[in-house]
Amino acid sequence: MRHLVFLLPALLLLLALPDTRGRYNDDFDDGEDIAEFDDNDFAEFEDVSEDPAVDVEKEPPPRAAPPSTPVEDDEDEATVENEDGQDEFEDADAQDQDMYSKYDNEEFEGYEKTNPSFKDTLIYREVPAHLQNSWESYYMEILMVTGLLAYIMNYIIGKNKNSRLAQAWFNSHRELLESNFALVGDDGTSKEATSTGKLNQENEHIYNLWCSGRVCCEGMLIQLKFLKRQDLLNVLSRMMRPACDQVQVKVTLNDEDMDTFVFAVGSRKAMARLQKELQDLSEFCGDKPKSGTKYGIPDSLAILSEMGEVTDGVMDSKMVHYLTTHADKIESIHFSDQFSGPKVMQEEGQPLKLPETKKTLLFTFNVPGMGNTSPKDMDSLLPLMNMVIYSIDKLKKLRLNREGKQKADRNRARVEENFLKHTHAQRQEAAQTRREEKKRAEKERIMNEEDPDRQRRLEEAAQRREQKKLEKKQMKMKQIKVKAM
Amino acid sequence: MTVNNMADPRRPTKIFRYKPPNTETNPTLEDPTPDYMNLLGMIFSMCGLMLKLKWCAWIAVYCSFISFANSRSSEDTKQMMSSFMLSISAVVMSYLQNPQPMSPPW
Repeated sequence: MRHLVFLLPALLLLLALPDTRGRYNDDFDDGEDIAEFDDNDFAEFEDVSEDPAVDVEKEPPPRAAPPSTPVEDDEDEATVENEDGQDEFEDADAQDQDMYSKYDNEEFEGYEKTNPSFKDTLIYREVPAHLQNSWESYYMEILMVTGLLAYIMNYIIGKNKNSRLAQAWFNSHRELLESNFALVGDDGTSKEATSTGKLNQENEHIYNLWCSGRVCCEGMLIQLKFLKRQDLLNVLSRMMRPACDQVQVKVTLNDEDMDTFVFAVGSRKAMARLQKELQDLSEFCGDKPKSGTKYGIPDSLAILSEMGEVTDGVMDSKMVHYLTTHADKIESIHFSDQFSGPKVMQEEGQPLKLPETKKTLLFTFNVPGMGNTSPKDMDSLLPLMNMVIYSIDKLKKLRLNREGKQKADRNRARVEENFLKHTHAQRQEAAQTRREEKKRAEKERIMNEEDPDRQRRLEEAAQRREQKKLEKKQMKMKQIKVKAM
Repeated sequence: MTVNNMADPRRPTKIFRYKPPNTETNPTLEDPTPDYMNLLGMIFSMCGLMLKLKWCAWIAVYCSFISFANSRSSEDTKQMMSSFMLSISAVVMSYLQNPQPMSPPW
């Protein structure tokens, strides 16, 4: 028993020895906190590889705080009560308590601590961005929303600009139109044909105006095709590829208002494009666009014509004057009695009819400014509208001579023949199917007939008809053979 | 004395009503942009919802805006609103499921 009594303090002394050595060293230091002593004391028990990392740093201070306070209390008690001789033991005791209190789990109930890892490598976890509580991490979202706001702003500005341009155009042309047409502005929905007196908005960038009630024409449809200023994508693409606003005028004529010819004049590019795209220009004006310098118009304009006489007739002095002064604004002018729109792509197996044609005058004008138009520019289009009215009146009076008329008729007959030839196979197929349908219908009728006598009679009648047909065919073949011989 | 040669060219008796051009016979006249953008918007919003891709949902919102800007006045507003609502819901759902900010592809 006695051995144990002496053994215990000796053991404790041995264990506390490193600490006490540190203590004595610390005693000679001036002005140091007791807490600092604790850190140094415990330093020997802490692992050397422990680096001051982000996460780990956060952990030790809170962890160190609770242990330090009870340790302090113990030490205070120790220093006050003990005498010099017993200081070591008392201190050792206190320190043992400190040591144990450090690892006393009950003090840290509910407090999660990560022990300093005794491995060499530590894994540092990134705090997830959305927990960081900073708006900066959401910069992509902020960018997106800014982009959307920019789009909306551009939409409003573009829409307003287009609307102002349209109104400016209408204000400058209203007088001319009202003096020439009985009906200015119609959307086709109202019961009575009264002038609405305003543009019909189809889109944020397309405005229509229908005018009717005049000599020499059926009606005139004016389309203001502005640039898509309300669409930001379009605005950006226009920075790469400049384009301009266009005014398209389509005048439909009655049969007596125009003679039979096809004629077009406009910028070279437009003429080349229209010749490929439009049905009538490709069929009737087969030659390449010719320069118009012979008639006195600038070289930038080219002419597509069915025959020379037509060009001579259309290009009178006033027309030449119009074309020369406003050459930059004219995209294309197209007069045609066979207008049917662009070439339609035919699907296989569809029986074709000749497309419907209408006597039409088409004008396409470019608004000056190349996109940067202001409402004032709309006034410069007024002379062009005068030219339109002049053309309508002029074409009423323009008549081909006998030769020209014959040539025109021959051309039209030729086109029709070509068309019929191309569709011959398809039309034959269609006729064949129709014949088969008829036969099938008749057979069904016979089958459905209840009276056997009538059935027999109908069958015989059908047989006789078929015999007759066969005989006719054979006769024809014989005749052809005889003729060939 | 100037004689006004120009008689009044107006003829109230010769009025023809406006007939909107038949777009079935001439499909080239129609601008396909709003329809394509509408379809794209729906596809992207579906992708964003199903695959939980935030950037898909944002592109869907843009597509529906572009479709709206290019649409014709005669078009149904219900269609526009439905595609718009779908894209907004795709964005909201993506963020509710995963509040992390979008990471750029670079």
